[in-house]
Amino acid sequence: MINEVRNTVLAILNKNNYGYISPADFNLFAEQAQLDIFEDYFYAYNYQVNKENARQSGTGYADLKKGYEEVIDLFSITDTLTQDAANVFFMPSQLTTGSDYYFINKVLCGTGLNEAERVGHSKITLLSQSLLTAPSSLYPAYTTESSLMTIYPDTYSTAGDVTCQYIRYPYTPKWTYINITGGEPVFDQSQPDYQDFELPIDDQTDLTMKILQYAGLSIREEAIVGYSAQQEQVENANEK
Amino acid sequence: MAYLTQYQYYENAGNLPEDENWGSYQYVSLKDIVTNYLLMYAGNHSLVNNEERYKILFHAKRAVQELNYDAFKEVKVLQLNVCEDLRFILPSDYVNWIRLSYYANGIIRPMVENIQVNSAVAYQQNADCSFLYDVDGNVLTEQSDLDYDRIIGQKPSIYLNRLSPYDGLLGYEYGGNWYFAVDIGARYGLNTETANTNPTFRIDKKAGVINFDSTMANQSCILEYISDGMEGGDDSEITVNKLFEDYVYAYISYALLDSKLGVQEYVVNRARRKKSSLLRNAKIRLSNIHPGRLLQNLRGRDKWIK
Repeated sequence: MINEVRNTVLAILNKNNYGYISPADFNLFAEQAQLDIFEDYFYAYNYQVNKENARQSGTGYADLKKGYEEVIDLFSITDTLTQDAANVFFMPSQLTTGSDYYFINKVLCGTGLNEAERVGHSKITLLSQSLLTAPSSLYPAYTTESSLMTIYPDTYSTAGDVTCQYIRYPYTPKWTYINITGGEPVFDQSQPDYQDFELPIDDQTDLTMKILQYAGLSIREEAIVGYSAQQEQVENANEK
Repeated sequence: MAYLTQYQYYENAGNLPEDENWGSYQYVSLKDIVTNYLLMYAGNHSLVNNEERYKILFHAKRAVQELNYDAFKEVKVLQLNVCEDLRFILPSDYVNWIRLSYYANGIIRPMVENIQVNSAVAYQQNADCSFLYDVDGNVLTEQSDLDYDRIIGQKPSIYLNRLSPYDGLLGYEYGGNWYFAVDIGARYGLNTETANTNPTFRIDKKAGVINFDSTMANQSCILEYISDGMEGGDDSEITVNKLFEDYVYAYISYALLDSKLGVQEYVVNRARRKKSSLLRNAKIRLSNIHPGRLLQNLRGRDKWIK
């Protein structure tokens, strides 16, 4: 999809000789655009949940919430967390699980896969002091601090005790090319660092418009920014 | 949690203890309660939303505790020997007592609670009745005369047992009342409240002990009591009778809605009424009134009282 998006972007930019963006610039704008749209999915999902609560959404093909869930789940990873010390584990990251997390959805502890609940630092002390709610092996809890996660009770202190399901960030898109013929880089997806967009195909227009906005800003072309922003608004309005 | 096979139920799948699963089908575990509640009653499009799990767990446990106090009728029974100190330390999961009996010669004899105090703390005093203190400024205590007399068997009892001042004395009956030849004045009839020959006890809740009269020394005692069902803090052991399962869900919903800001009063009231009626229904079900039992009771009306 990345090549189609780039071609469309270049086509619009070149239409009135507005300008040209290099592959490096395109890759930067593509990353920004993808992150932007990725984050919008969570807001859109919440919007649909609210509509459902207000009895304004349908079932079957009208169940838009389900569609958003499916897209978000494309980025779902379940992996064992690396132990730091005792009941402290590293949060998912490039170094430990191979990808940075955007949202931790579920933390499972021990062989019984007991789900740990996220608790704020303002609550964990009180929670631990209460007889009825103190975290137990059946109902564990966790807090996070910096890049570390502390599991309560501290009986979960063996490597492999904690498994996490999280939503990772999309991989950075990269439009790769080989040699330049006649001043034009030629698309080559066999390069080892090639990375396509991870969003579904229906986001192609959004991606194009977003990249155009950034590109318009870059080449100081107000008309491009205005056009793409307007198109994006129309798209968003239609999707609600 | 999957259903047990019959082999698992009857013989614990060959593991020990064999009786691990006997009767377990009557109960639903706390884990199932919380899981089912989160699945069925909480979340988007539900009355309860965005509540922390620990709150649900807390209210579920509170419901179990409340049910254990009266509705469950699940009585724990503990038999212990009472030694020379005439004390019975309350069980670790004790909340309230139902009946205390002493067991001798194969017969269980219910005991009565002594209406008189039978144990006290005594402060050490000088001859002028001033108190003695330790270096920290706390008053020094000692065994009270009340306790001492009771333990050595010197404290007379108002009950008609071996400690009664009238025990073994001859009396005479006149006009339906019993009179004794001792004491100036007379005992005008029998006080039925204290007319019990069994040993007596008194529970010192704060001290966590049951104090007996001296006739209980080296006797066997059976305590029937209720607990709060928290199973010593082991969440995996906490269970609820299935007849009360719906009540526990209703209780959790009510407790959450009642304490939440902005919930309409009619919603809270609806939850409260649902909770109350489900408790009533469950209690009726648990009381197990059925024709067979009623018939058995009604047969008693044909007995002639001579």
